[in-house]
Amino acid sequence: MIEFISRIFGRTQGAAPGSKDTAKQRLKFLLIHDQVDLSPAQLEQMKAELIKVIAKYVEIDESDTAVRLERSDGQIALVSSIPVRRVVEREVASLPKEVANNTKIVEPVVVVEEVAHSA
Amino acid sequence: MAECIVVTSGKGGVGKTTTTANLGMALALNGSKVAVVDADIGLRNLDVILGLENRIVYDLVHVIEGECRLKQALIRDKRVENLFLLPAAQTRDKNAVTPAQMRELVNQIKAEGYDYVIVDCPAGIEQGFKNAVAGADKAIIVTTPEVSAIRDADRIIGMVEAAELPEPQLIINRYRPRMVASGDMMNKEDILEILSIPLLGIVPDHEEIIISANRGAPVVLDEKSLVGEAYRRIGRRLKGEPDVPMLEFPVNTGFWSTLKKLMGLSAREVA
Repeated sequence: MIEFISRIFGRTQGAAPGSKDTAKQRLKFLLIHDQVDLSPAQLEQMKAELIKVIAKYVEIDESDTAVRLERSDGQIALVSSIPVRRVVEREVASLPKEVANNTKIVEPVVVVEEVAHSA
Repeated sequence: MAECIVVTSGKGGVGKTTTTANLGMALALNGSKVAVVDADIGLRNLDVILGLENRIVYDLVHVIEGECRLKQALIRDKRVENLFLLPAAQTRDKNAVTPAQMRELVNQIKAEGYDYVIVDCPAGIEQGFKNAVAGADKAIIVTTPEVSAIRDADRIIGMVEAAELPEPQLIINRYRPRMVASGDMMNKEDILEILSIPLLGIVPDHEEIIISANRGAPVVLDEKSLVGEAYRRIGRRLKGEPDVPMLEFPVNTGFWSTLKKLMGLSAREVA
């Protein structure tokens, strides 16, 4: 009955999010993986290895990293957001003393890396 | 200068044949000489949609194999001047024809003084697709606002580009303005953002399409039909007429219109 009444009065816009956003998200994900032929599991593995390499040079906040593939205008880009806490000691030690003092603690920065992949 | 346009989609059942029939008719009604070619060998249907199935004597494979002349196989539509159908063979398969033969066939039709040759491509990405695009100068991609259809359209766009055709144009078929308004169907912008090719037109979903297929009389013949108007405008855009506005589909979700719809009083409104 309630459904009938709500049908009569027309659905309130924005009350319940429609399913089209789900469709769009699924589609975007599908197209990226269709194009690069990289499974989500492989992407996870790549992300783990990337983080391992980056962690050799800078101390990063692993809980807040994001590595994903994005697509615009038929081009695939690898987009990563990896917050850097500080440069690791080992690297700093090899720098001149005064520079080392200044760079020992760096403000957290976000590394955004885009690697274009032609369609 | 004659132009060959292939209508393709990848996925089956999105309305390629209906689009080909209506577009061919729209162009012919607008004064062009048009041949619509059914390239779906083994599963022909363009003849049925056009209501010309009882007049077939020869088909595309007969022409290619030299069993008849092209003019004998082209069926003249009696309702619309300058519209002709070249039907597909029903008892052969897609391997009966090669891309080189299709190219030759299209050139032969062009040489007969046609302005447009519109090829209805079979679903899929194999031999049938390769044959259908072989003679084409450009492609029209038909899709519906669904995940599966858009995914396949994306794949086909890549294949059209690989076939060295210019950037294809998009027709969004089976558009349901009410569902778009309630957020349950991807809208024009969503689809264009994903496929990023130019939009040629939007065709609303409507019962009229099923009725016209039942009768073998494409909806573009009905001057009062909104769906027919969508095809007529697509035809005008194809002919290069500038600034043909996109059809608007106002959705009235107010009390009275919803009540009327529930009581079946506004049958002509699109879904």
